[in-house]
Amino acid sequence: MTQPSDTPKTSGGSRSAIAAHPVISAVIAILIFASIFFSLYVPLYARATPMVGDFPFFYFYLLVYMPVVGIVLGFVLFLQHRLRTRADTDGPGSGEVTR
Amino acid sequence: MSNVNAVTFTIVVVLFLLVTLIGFAAARWRRAEDMMHLNEWGLGGRGFGTFVGWFLLGGDLYTAYTFIAVPAAVFGAGAVTGFFAVSYTIIVFPIALIFLPRLWSIARAHNYVTPADFVRGRFGSRSLALAIAFTGILALMPYIALQLVGIQAVLTVMGVGTSSGNTFVKDLPLFIAFLVLAVFTYVSGLRAPALIAFVKDTLVYLMIIVAVLYLPAKVGGWGHIFSTAEAHLKSTSPVTHKPTGVFIPVTGNSQLAFSTLALGSALALMVYPHSVTGVLSTKRRAIIKRNMALLPIYSIMLGFIALLGYVALTDPTTAANVKKANNAQLAVPYLFQHLFPSWFTGVAFAAIVIGALVPAAIMSIASANLFTRNIYREYLNPGCSPANELQVAKLAALAVLLGALGFIVWLPGAQKFAITLQLLGGIWIIQTLPAVLIGLYTRWLHPVALLVGWAVGIVSGTAMVAAKAFASPIYPLDIFGVIAPSYDAISALALNLVISVALSFVFNAAFGSARADATAVTDYV
Repeated sequence: MTQPSDTPKTSGGSRSAIAAHPVISAVIAILIFASIFFSLYVPLYARATPMVGDFPFFYFYLLVYMPVVGIVLGFVLFLQHRLRTRADTDGPGSGEVTR
Repeated sequence: MSNVNAVTFTIVVVLFLLVTLIGFAAARWRRAEDMMHLNEWGLGGRGFGTFVGWFLLGGDLYTAYTFIAVPAAVFGAGAVTGFFAVSYTIIVFPIALIFLPRLWSIARAHNYVTPADFVRGRFGSRSLALAIAFTGILALMPYIALQLVGIQAVLTVMGVGTSSGNTFVKDLPLFIAFLVLAVFTYVSGLRAPALIAFVKDTLVYLMIIVAVLYLPAKVGGWGHIFSTAEAHLKSTSPVTHKPTGVFIPVTGNSQLAFSTLALGSALALMVYPHSVTGVLSTKRRAIIKRNMALLPIYSIMLGFIALLGYVALTDPTTAANVKKANNAQLAVPYLFQHLFPSWFTGVAFAAIVIGALVPAAIMSIASANLFTRNIYREYLNPGCSPANELQVAKLAALAVLLGALGFIVWLPGAQKFAITLQLLGGIWIIQTLPAVLIGLYTRWLHPVALLVGWAVGIVSGTAMVAAKAFASPIYPLDIFGVIAPSYDAISALALNLVISVALSFVFNAAFGSARADATAVTDYV
């Protein structure tokens, strides 16, 4: 469901990128779903302690999550970019084979 | 107007005039050779880059009602119905990264202006596209009206116009503000909110940074703020005989409410027409992606705005004022007025008023695009010229804005009604998700199945709210446009999905799965 893996069955171009770099593709998918999951899974952080400064942990966690998600998504974009450039340099051949 | 602070009032008026000038000047900004096209007026020429896109999307998604309603909900009920907004604005960006770049690409390849355009092309179904367009317009109407509620909260605290019994005189400032908004939207289209968003975002940032650095110390520091909030929320409410609110959601129920509210709101935002309009106005696919990593900066601010609800709770004067007015939405305006010097109160109030203009303009444009493309051109006047299409869109935007104004000003009790409608709007719009978002990945779902699922989702979602609205008080919270019992939105969406999938099996087996599809697989990447 992530960007580079978005059309595994239909798009020849994407398919070759994923087939050629399964590890990077998997890392991208994991990062995206992790950034959703760790916010939605409330039991993980619905605690008052440890206090961070004057902030109960619950509030601290959510406030710090924001810049973290920005950085994680930035890293995802970097990986996607690499995926595409690599797929291109691997040449059209790899795309043709999987097609 | 006896107790109006002259300094505050002057600063608000001056900043509003500045924004008015910008709104009209925007018509000349990034002018295209052929302006007589809906792409120019309705999508700003589809040419905004990362920088403008960031300001536009930020200004679009974080509405004035957000600045008022989120801290109001935190003030009133604490973490679940208020602070869930922070979780919502976290997950909205990774979710957007899954869907919106694809939506951008397909819209660019086929010159789609609205989500309903895409559904029409993808599923080849006019009736499904009409349902999508109709839902979008219906969901946006009360949302636009609620931007007025944000302005009204500020005007009330400023003491402007409240002393008169005459409706027209009482709402004159609101009237002027919205008339100006309607005219510059008509003239400049999406370029106006894009340019004004620079002023809005700058003022909002200034407001929140100063508020976070200055206010907590004035009321005794964060430690005192959190302990006061905790004590207040755990105390028993004299009305309900239950705890006033939730400080930290430790029970399973409150955690489920928290996360379904966050998820439901985030999913609904993906299909709200005004966010689609913002997304489609950008120049390249990479700009959408980049902004999904950059917009969380905006959300940090939202986290602190939400906490202002607790700051207001801690300041005795503000808490007393809000109690006296019996309106939690005034919490932040009263807080600013009490603790800021009057000139900075002016800046902060202007930020909220201008903050209402940007999303209201974009929403009216999104509605106008839907009406023009999917109702007027599709049903009323097929084969109309681009110039004719543009003219209809401009008039539709004008009609939508004036309609919202009339609704709020003349209908008694309209404000509460608008809030209820807005609540329903979030539940309605999420029912378009199977067609719009799942449609981006597969056309396996049958259009008739989608239509039935949509109808069931809307009816069941509405029924769930109707059943509860009579029993318990609701905190209708909107950030990005989606609101409190979004748990209902998720349940109704689940029902919608089950029906869409089940019927698709039946219809595909009975009639075959080959259908017209104007889009090609390579258009999505």
